[in-house]
Amino acid sequence: MRSFQHINVFTLEEAVSVLKDSGGKAQVIAGGTDIIGVLKEQILPDYPEILLNIKAIPDLDYIKKDHEGLRIGPLAKLAGLAKSPAVREKYGALAQAARSVGSPQIRNMATIGGNLCQETRCWYYRYPHSIGGRLLCLRKGSGSCLAVNGDNRYHALFDARRCFAACPSDVAVALLLLGAEINILGIGGKRTVYLQDFFHPLGNALEPGEIIGGIHIPTPPVGAKQQFLKFTLRKPIDFAVVSAAALIVLDGGICTEARIALGAVAPGPRRFPEAENFLKGKRLETNVLEKAAGIALEGAKPLSKNGYKIEIAKTLISRALSACLENESFNH
Amino acid sequence: MSEHPVTLVVNNRRYDLEVGGRPGDLQPTHTLSYTLRETLGLTGTKIGCDKGECGACTVLLEGEPVLSCLILTVECHGKKITTIEGLEDPQTGKLDPIQQSFIDSGAFQCGFCTPGMIMSVKALFAGNPSPTGQEIREALSGHYCRCMSHYHVLEAVAGSVPKAGGTDE
Repeated sequence: MRSFQHINVFTLEEAVSVLKDSGGKAQVIAGGTDIIGVLKEQILPDYPEILLNIKAIPDLDYIKKDHEGLRIGPLAKLAGLAKSPAVREKYGALAQAARSVGSPQIRNMATIGGNLCQETRCWYYRYPHSIGGRLLCLRKGSGSCLAVNGDNRYHALFDARRCFAACPSDVAVALLLLGAEINILGIGGKRTVYLQDFFHPLGNALEPGEIIGGIHIPTPPVGAKQQFLKFTLRKPIDFAVVSAAALIVLDGGICTEARIALGAVAPGPRRFPEAENFLKGKRLETNVLEKAAGIALEGAKPLSKNGYKIEIAKTLISRALSACLENESFNH
Repeated sequence: MSEHPVTLVVNNRRYDLEVGGRPGDLQPTHTLSYTLRETLGLTGTKIGCDKGECGACTVLLEGEPVLSCLILTVECHGKKITTIEGLEDPQTGKLDPIQQSFIDSGAFQCGFCTPGMIMSVKALFAGNPSPTGQEIREALSGHYCRCMSHYHVLEAVAGSVPKAGGTDE
């Protein structure tokens, strides 16, 4: 790796202050599973002068229940989320999503904050500098999106305008489903953004000098059933081709609340209000679930090679909804 | 700059490494896999893909299997690390039962992935002395073997389970 200065910080405030003083030349490292790869392959034209290790900050890996829901520290490991009784009890989709990421070793290293801040897996964006030079594109600040006329089989179906990279985070899909909020610390103080506002077409909501301070998930509705599912090419360890999460509340067999979220199909995780509204007030027979999946994908705008993801997404939505219903019958 | 010496406890032996620019010094950019092999001479840990996909570089950090190619050595200050060299009995030179079982089952061809696999199995047995077949497969899911020795590996691991009695699925 090219050289950088390595600094340990011991409080979040100190981290913010170093980020501010560095004038954009410092980058945060948490679990390192993404950024070490980014630095080794020098995929970005800008290389950090300072790597700011926040792992030395104590007590930031908490997973705490309170009367408003669940609070998760930015350094909570994915392995810990996957096996936490508090997460599994009421936030099952998040436990399933965390469990689906990488390998056991990666989950022992990777943090929830890092998972939200990871770089996209777009293969043009991540092309290694050592093999003929990195590829510049719109996301790197010069040129246009190479996926539009290139091999775009893993790229976005929704909401992409100029850059078609898809958001790779599985955890974000579950957090969106559960209505999570991200607490952000910066030079100006604290602010909170909803997860649906965290991802931007070319990155995320963190301004220079800002850092994730924590994550809050409100208590899910009483009786809610949830399921996260992920389609990958390599079963034990891979990024999602498409991931899906569903949440259902039934009252006397009638759906009173429905949430559907998809991952890896847009610049961020995405909800589908029309399909969700279609389910409300209905008995959830198989054909109703399939109809909802169809409604969700109506607005998809495939590129030349990623149309197949529409069918995968529809199937995952139907299966996630069905799994919620099975959980329902199992529990009563 | 974090120029303080970095102390690692590798296989119960303490190493104090100077951070700096002289030959042999630890650089902030050095990964743990690089330090283990090139600075400490512990070449049992293998570097396969060097990007977190193959599992060959797996070591135990505070008892948990992690990928040493994605960890900076300077971030391991004060940490306890176990590599494949740490498994044999230092007094008698006797191999760990897992290592012996891999040999007895012929659970490798080229053997490049073997140290990493054995470290993951070591961690599995430490937390779960009677794992099921599914739990063994899960613990090994982050390891690639290009010689396709996977079935022999499962046999070797099943043969070295500390407390038999875990039910296969």
